[in-house]
Amino acid sequence: MNVADLIMERRSIRKCTTRPVEQELVVELLRNALRLQPSLENGSWRAVYAGTPEASKELTDYIYVQMTESKLGKLIPGKLMDVFKKRFSDIPAHLVVMAAKGPDRPSSDRNYAAICGLMQSFQLLGWERGLGMLWDTDPFLYHEGFFQGIGLREDETFVGILHLGYYDKVPKSRRRTPAERKWTVLQGSVT
Amino acid sequence: MTLSDLAGEMGRPVHFIDRPVSQQLILELLNCAVWAPNDGLREPWRFIFTDRRNGQELRGLQEPAPAYLLVVAKEEGDPHIQEEDFAAVCCLIQNFRLLAHEKGLGVRWTLHEWMYERSRTVTFGVGDNERLAAVLEIGYNAVHSEGEPAFTESPLPFELLGN
Repeated sequence: MNVADLIMERRSIRKCTTRPVEQELVVELLRNALRLQPSLENGSWRAVYAGTPEASKELTDYIYVQMTESKLGKLIPGKLMDVFKKRFSDIPAHLVVMAAKGPDRPSSDRNYAAICGLMQSFQLLGWERGLGMLWDTDPFLYHEGFFQGIGLREDETFVGILHLGYYDKVPKSRRRTPAERKWTVLQGSVT
Repeated sequence: MTLSDLAGEMGRPVHFIDRPVSQQLILELLNCAVWAPNDGLREPWRFIFTDRRNGQELRGLQEPAPAYLLVVAKEEGDPHIQEEDFAAVCCLIQNFRLLAHEKGLGVRWTLHEWMYERSRTVTFGVGDNERLAAVLEIGYNAVHSEGEPAFTESPLPFELLGN
């Protein structure tokens, strides 16, 4: 598949099958994604992988620890909470991505931007191999209990979780606004 | 060309040749790049194009390039939404880089100090609820006498949860 078709045909996968995801494949895709991002320096990012049912359950516990203890969480019946958790822990694999903070905002943003680029390439390379993903940045992930669980350090920022799994059905596409409608040409002040 | 074929080529440095880059080509690539994942289909981006002749205002701020694409991100809502939108814009830029490479175009993805100064960005038409997420320096890339790209395989920072 050429690059243009790949970019346009990729979909975010919210519903995946129970088929396990091979760790070797994830490592291979990540390595290839890194080769497309040569500006990323050693030590500027890190990925933590949860690819077994046990690891997936552990990650789910970190995510829900805060919610269970919060006022809102106490109002949610235990069984309903279990349903929430199960939907998450049933996903075969998760890749948590973290960025190193730089000495100032531009350098932090540059690094963060390159890591987003890496994650996009990783999603595309996965799609090429039939592996679906969903980039999750849900606000309820952003809490101390979760950050501790994944081992986020003080000099790091959480970028996102990619949920990985194989899929039966490809979701329909949603139309994009043509670039022409978001386009301005800057004419020089001197002609 | 598949995406895997591009890996390894992206490590080569970008050297522009003196050949104009057409708006039509940039738009064609962008219309594919907009298929980037973005939360709630907010499409939090817009584009400002200029070239070497018309981009005098960028002189001193950016390296010389045949064409410049200023990529503007929405800066609305809470900090979390702003971060999501910035990430979505970065995915779009990544798509654009990959697509451009296929057409023989080199892209330098820049994010400099001046892009955080409102007094400067406003002169390019960046609004109050927006930020300049990147300036892309674009041009046809000089073909280099082969020689392997300077990419050294480094250990992958890949860890297992709980270890």
